[in-house]
Amino acid sequence: MRPVDATAWLDFLVEGSARGIARRTSRRGLLGSLGALLVGAAVVPLLPVARGAEAPGKQGGALDKSQDPTQCEYWRHCAIDGYLCGCCGGSASSCPPGTEQSAVTWVGTCHNPADGMDYVISYNDCCGKGTCGRCLCNRNERDTPIYVPFESNDYDWCTGSDKANVPYHCSTARIVAPAR
Amino acid sequence: MPASPHWVWVNDFVFPHMSDGQAMLVDGDSGRFLGVLYTGFGFTRVVPAKDGRVIFSPETYFSRGTRGTRTDVVTLYDPAHLAAVGEIGIPPKRSENMPMMANQQLTDDGRFLLIYNFTPGQSVTVVDAERRAYVAEIETAGCALVFPTGPRSFFSICGDGALLDVRLDDSGHATARTRTEAMFDVAHDPATEKGVRVGDTWLFVTYGGTLQPVRITPQGLRRGPAWSLTSPGERVENWRPGGLQQLAAHAGLNRLYSIMHQGGPETHKDPGKEVWVYDLALRRRIQRIAMRNPAGSIQVTRDAKPLLFASFIESSTLDVYDAVSGQHLRSIESVGTTPTLLVNP
Amino acid sequence: MSAVGAARLAAALAALLLGSDTALAYQPQVNYMLQCMGCHRPDGSGEPGRVPSVRRTLVRFARLAEGRRYLVSVPGAAQSRLTDAELAELINWMMDHLSDLPATGIAPFTAAEVTRNRRPPLIEVSATRARLIDQTR
Repeated sequence: MRPVDATAWLDFLVEGSARGIARRTSRRGLLGSLGALLVGAAVVPLLPVARGAEAPGKQGGALDKSQDPTQCEYWRHCAIDGYLCGCCGGSASSCPPGTEQSAVTWVGTCHNPADGMDYVISYNDCCGKGTCGRCLCNRNERDTPIYVPFESNDYDWCTGSDKANVPYHCSTARIVAPAR
Repeated sequence: MPASPHWVWVNDFVFPHMSDGQAMLVDGDSGRFLGVLYTGFGFTRVVPAKDGRVIFSPETYFSRGTRGTRTDVVTLYDPAHLAAVGEIGIPPKRSENMPMMANQQLTDDGRFLLIYNFTPGQSVTVVDAERRAYVAEIETAGCALVFPTGPRSFFSICGDGALLDVRLDDSGHATARTRTEAMFDVAHDPATEKGVRVGDTWLFVTYGGTLQPVRITPQGLRRGPAWSLTSPGERVENWRPGGLQQLAAHAGLNRLYSIMHQGGPETHKDPGKEVWVYDLALRRRIQRIAMRNPAGSIQVTRDAKPLLFASFIESSTLDVYDAVSGQHLRSIESVGTTPTLLVNP
Repeated sequence: MSAVGAARLAAALAALLLGSDTALAYQPQVNYMLQCMGCHRPDGSGEPGRVPSVRRTLVRFARLAEGRRYLVSVPGAAQSRLTDAELAELINWMMDHLSDLPATGIAPFTAAEVTRNRRPPLIEVSATRARLIDQTR
């Protein structure tokens, strides 16, 4: 697949058009050119489509659970295991105050029924305080045993950095990129 | 009160307050709560010494509770008084994950305590259980957990489904590390980490319900013949194994116990309302035991009239059954907050 | 059929094939994200004391035969869910995008080279890496 121009890629996202793509792609997903997202980025940025996904799912319709980031059924939580940072003073994409995002994490893919697309999701934990204790959620789509660490939600991923200090507080589900 | 094979350690990492890990001792016959050990942050489980003289407990502490400097130790507890009597310092690298029996194990003769580390670099800490001292850290890159195979050997499971066969000398240092061929099909139907040992065989189940034995032989580790825990009809009905501590075994009866539920693919961590019992010589199911409550963890006592214990991480109730008849004997309330692993003393 | 029609037909066929892994060839930066980024971080700098940085070692190692074997057989690479061709392409991409040192004069990795050296995955990782760093000072 030849690289897609990054600007054209973002325009496509904003249009939100579905192209009859298989509803359930393979775990590895399809991703366009992401050079701008990777080089020098210490924090995974929020894409325009993520902001769109946090708004009410349908025009004039009720907010269903798959589109509500405080719900376990939120589409991005397809393989999460822990407390939802959105209930803890943070959000599905940001850490609550006073906690550090773990640099080491695992990365999965989840399907968004609102636009019919798969997305790469990074389950960064927020660390350095005791557990949040609110909105516990455990789902295991495409989860692997802990001997395949990078697709396993059974690790306390706060373990990965001295700054994050191991005590686990809550989990985010950050969109890294759409999967086509 | 004299120790009994019908006692059980109920380990609990107390997920809402992970600094308050604990291990509770319960008498399965009387239902009596005998006592508790408080065991620090992200607790996995106690490891009773094979001679019963001490209880080893790999633990993690932070200097200010939920922050500060991390220290890992193996605490030594006196089984008669349930009091701490010493500790051994170990590298602060103990893997923090959903508790599994294979996070830490003793070698077959009880001489060495092996602890899986994840930083995310993978290694195994070796502690001399007899001399009560740290020995070494063995690099096990790409491989996880510890499954003892003899007095001076264990394996870890690697990310490609192969096993890393590790040999130790009498001081506990590694003398050899070799990889086997792939034993598990990681891409399509992985084996879970929750294997149990019967004699010279480790028994693993896959997400789909296949039993994959790993045999310990003088020539090394070998795949045993695989067989299915479910019939084709049962698979159509989506019966599959699941849970946190999903398997138990009784060596004397040569039986395997597996928590079973009905659910689609990727429900391998779901609890079940049945425990299916298999005769390991016949390689077929001989019994279905109905659970009074959903079970996520089971354990069977080692004696000739065994009990079957069942717990669930979302419940404080410990259920006790006759492991042969399947009869429910008693339910014991208020045993933990998020109980994880059930350990025989 | 017009050129536009042929292009549309090709796109439609491609869409039909999307369910199959083998029909997909992900861009290397995407494979980096899925297989490596979780520990080595988006810029390859790792986590001091826990996850090695690749930024100063990739190119240095790729100048040595043993270094090239290391890059392919280190478990994170060897056990990743990539074909041999994809792993070769990924390492080449990493040398171009995640390296502080330019990859001038380095022979690109090929699928054949990966096939020769990937399995079994390396066991003696730390000691090998330390030796390679020493040799490439």
